[in-house]
Amino acid sequence: MDSNLGYAGGAPKARLPLLQRIGTQRVVRFLFGSAATISTLVIVLMLVFLGIYAFPAIRFNGLGILTQSVWNIGDQYGSGHVVRAGITAMQGAQFGGLVFVFGTVVTAFVAMLFAVPLSLLVAVALVYRVPPRLRPLVNAVVELMAGVPSVVYGLWGIVVLVPFIGQRLGPWTTEHLGFLPFLGGPAGSGNGLLASSVLLSLMAMPFMVATIRDVILAQEKSIFEASMALGSTSWQAVTKAVMPSVTNGIFAAVLVALGRALGETMAVLMVCGGAVGIFAQNIFQSVNTIAAVIVSQLESALTDPTGLAQKSLAELALMLFVITLFVNIVARLILHGADRSGEA
Amino acid sequence: MRKISAAALALAFVLTSAGSALAATKMLETGSSLVYPLMNLWVATYQKKNPSVEITTQSTGSGTGIAQAVSGVAQIGASDAYMSNGQLAQGKMLNIPLAISAQQINYNIPGLNNAHLNLSGPVLAGIYSGKITMWDNAQIKALNRSIASKLPHQTIIPIHRTDGSGDTFIFSQYLSFSTPSWKNGPGYGTSISWPAVATAVGANGNPGMVQTCQNTRYSIAYIGVSFLNQTNKAGLGFAALKNRAGRFVLPTASTISSAAGTLVGKTPNDERISLIFAPGANSYPIINYEYAIVNPKQANGQVANELKKFLNWAVDRNGGNSAHFLNAVRFIPLPASIVEKSRKQIASIKG
Amino acid sequence: MRATTLRNRVSGQFWWAASVVALLLVIAVLVAIFGFVISRGLPALKPSVLFTVTSGTSGGLANAIAGTFLLVICGVVLVTLIGIGTALWMVEFANPSQRRLVRFAIDVLAGVPSIVVGYFLYVALVESLGWGFSLLAGAISLTIIMLPFVVRAADLALSGVPRALRDGAIALGARPATVTFSIAIPWAIPGILTGLLVATGIGLGETAPLIYTAGWSNFMPSLAPTHSPVGYLTYVVWTFISMPFSDSHALAYAAAALLMILIFTLNLVSRTAVDYWVLRTRGG
Repeated sequence: MDSNLGYAGGAPKARLPLLQRIGTQRVVRFLFGSAATISTLVIVLMLVFLGIYAFPAIRFNGLGILTQSVWNIGDQYGSGHVVRAGITAMQGAQFGGLVFVFGTVVTAFVAMLFAVPLSLLVAVALVYRVPPRLRPLVNAVVELMAGVPSVVYGLWGIVVLVPFIGQRLGPWTTEHLGFLPFLGGPAGSGNGLLASSVLLSLMAMPFMVATIRDVILAQEKSIFEASMALGSTSWQAVTKAVMPSVTNGIFAAVLVALGRALGETMAVLMVCGGAVGIFAQNIFQSVNTIAAVIVSQLESALTDPTGLAQKSLAELALMLFVITLFVNIVARLILHGADRSGEA
Repeated sequence: MRKISAAALALAFVLTSAGSALAATKMLETGSSLVYPLMNLWVATYQKKNPSVEITTQSTGSGTGIAQAVSGVAQIGASDAYMSNGQLAQGKMLNIPLAISAQQINYNIPGLNNAHLNLSGPVLAGIYSGKITMWDNAQIKALNRSIASKLPHQTIIPIHRTDGSGDTFIFSQYLSFSTPSWKNGPGYGTSISWPAVATAVGANGNPGMVQTCQNTRYSIAYIGVSFLNQTNKAGLGFAALKNRAGRFVLPTASTISSAAGTLVGKTPNDERISLIFAPGANSYPIINYEYAIVNPKQANGQVANELKKFLNWAVDRNGGNSAHFLNAVRFIPLPASIVEKSRKQIASIKG
Repeated sequence: MRATTLRNRVSGQFWWAASVVALLLVIAVLVAIFGFVISRGLPALKPSVLFTVTSGTSGGLANAIAGTFLLVICGVVLVTLIGIGTALWMVEFANPSQRRLVRFAIDVLAGVPSIVVGYFLYVALVESLGWGFSLLAGAISLTIIMLPFVVRAADLALSGVPRALRDGAIALGARPATVTFSIAIPWAIPGILTGLLVATGIGLGETAPLIYTAGWSNFMPSLAPTHSPVGYLTYVVWTFISMPFSDSHALAYAAAALLMILIFTLNLVSRTAVDYWVLRTRGG
């Protein structure tokens, strides 16, 4: 679990380039070197390939992919075409991805609203309240939770969570608490924002708990003890002394978890309700995410003879790629900064 | 890098050809979840008599069926929708009818699932475009005078397919042919731009429709008639639909046959025709040919021959089109004239 | 100096209680999910299910089990070669800036949503190269997903080889290759193995990248690398649960239970076996 956050946590010491001076190592070096280029190559290929492939869609859609909410591959059985920016699509075609971008961001954000405070509490309990004898067991439970496949979360979501939300929680809440923002209006079927976010938060928590636990443990125990010695309560020692010293680590953990939640596919696909052309008015209504749309719409997109629907999905995939890339780079920069200040 | 990938490709090619020489002919059938229950019955029986062929059946959606048949990933793309002119312009594909099917409109209204609601194209269009939002809406009441007082004041949850689907195609065709505002709005297709309805839910495949409708009270869904056993078991109601003659009819063998009878004669040689909203007092309005979408140019002669053999068996009255198979999924067999047309198309498949 | 007022003590006690409740809640949810899957899956997990293939949405899981193993094994073989090669290059050959670049790439790769990987390979391999749904396309998608985990683990393990060990060997006249293969790799094996086992667990549970690369098949997988789709367990969980048939529900639960059992066993093995190995080889 200690490699969770990449390298910044445990940067290895520089090593003498012993083998570099020896010519007989060329073959080994070439083989290892080609292995090492693969990861970079895959990323470059993915970006370039998706970019080139999606280019006609990027031109056709312009900013519309971000500002419009209607996703319509066009009139399949008509004979008309629409041409924009020199690109041909079926009559009526419009590829607005706003609903999916909205769903992606909102499900991940609400998931973080649940998962971040809970993970902080759980991590603190793990470090300070679980008896040492039980600690390996509880740690194992957290790790096992991280290993549960997303379709299994989705299975539980479909069979247990969605009916509970759709038949009990949703109707009760909209009736009794409907005056509160995001809780009023029709409760829908149970498939939707809340179900997706609950699953996402469950999936994000093991990682966040483990990482926050590790950054707390990596801090000097003395911070906690010094604060206690200064007369604060144990809880104050945790919130006022220990936590501030590890905010960077926590923030990076949250960002990495956020990146994963943004790109999670299967569990969300199974419970999101597959909203098209509409934004959820409350936390119970259907949503849709970029990742889920790529799975659920790819094959209808393949029936577009102009190919533009599929290319627009590639554009969405590229957008998701760039969004997660951005989040992960920020996480890395924060950790990197933390490391530098630690060295100084 | 190019050399390495070229070598890998060559290796892959050698291994593949070695593999396919040894194994039975493999065929993939994918697409329509409406045809899926029938395909499973067919393949299980056919497989026993023809061990030299292995057919994998997959319930995905007609959109997938068409797309994967075109791309060559699947040998048979099952579809409730015929291909559009635009799609055919990309390359010649055969649209071979295998049987005649219908679609039911299902709903889950506790207490009313045993009464067959009367519904019409315009009312369904109203529900699916968010203009009719409550089950006790005046327009629904007007069609159901005898049970008007029992219609609950509850929000309707319209369920539609998220995958590219022939069911969406025939359902939206019914709405288009019966309701001008729908025709000029969303129109029809295997994948259409659904109007924004706050409570709408998407589901995947007919199975997903049944499951979601069962789990969601006050929902409405369009589901292939081959799932009637499942929708009955799930306790869902199914509606009597208003046909072109203005009568409300249930999907039965006789109403489906009667609708087919009025339009079958018009079937062109490439067999692409809509059977939706047929004339006739006893005609059920949503019926269709179930198509096998097949590329006339197959990978090799062996695949082409096995494919022809299977398809010819499928359309045969003593084979796949026998009552034994079709009754189980409530399809009706192809009329003799259509079998002839289908056989002609099958004969044109080459290796 | 902060005063420990009564109010602070009370709110402190409240928050400690809340943290313990949160911990119990998380454990309860895991137990609930685990119990749910096992209680529904075990009764469905009859021997016949393990040894017959899927026919339509009923039958057994033999094809999915074999397919899952085949995909994961191929993926693990590929990722072992590439991952350990990458780590060795970084530790033994690369200069600091090259190292930073590869580490950055690995971190980025770890963050790429798996569906993006699947979609990319679908367009590139399944369609453009015409492989069709296939073992090789599926295994490559798993390799890309697993690669970051393996590289990180191997890198950390190899970087952790004590300097004294290396210097000693070199002082004794060992050639650099000997140092790498006889000193560094054996020392790093437990760490590498842990990484591989974690990656295997991830591979077993993946769905999104496989849907459009491996496809699905009702039959036992052939060993042909291309043009022959492969079934796998997660597909069964995903699709069969939304079928309105009790047979297919049973298969979905059985597949989910099987996956959980496999992944949990793997987790246990990696914890105990690797600890044992470290004890044996390094004398604790």
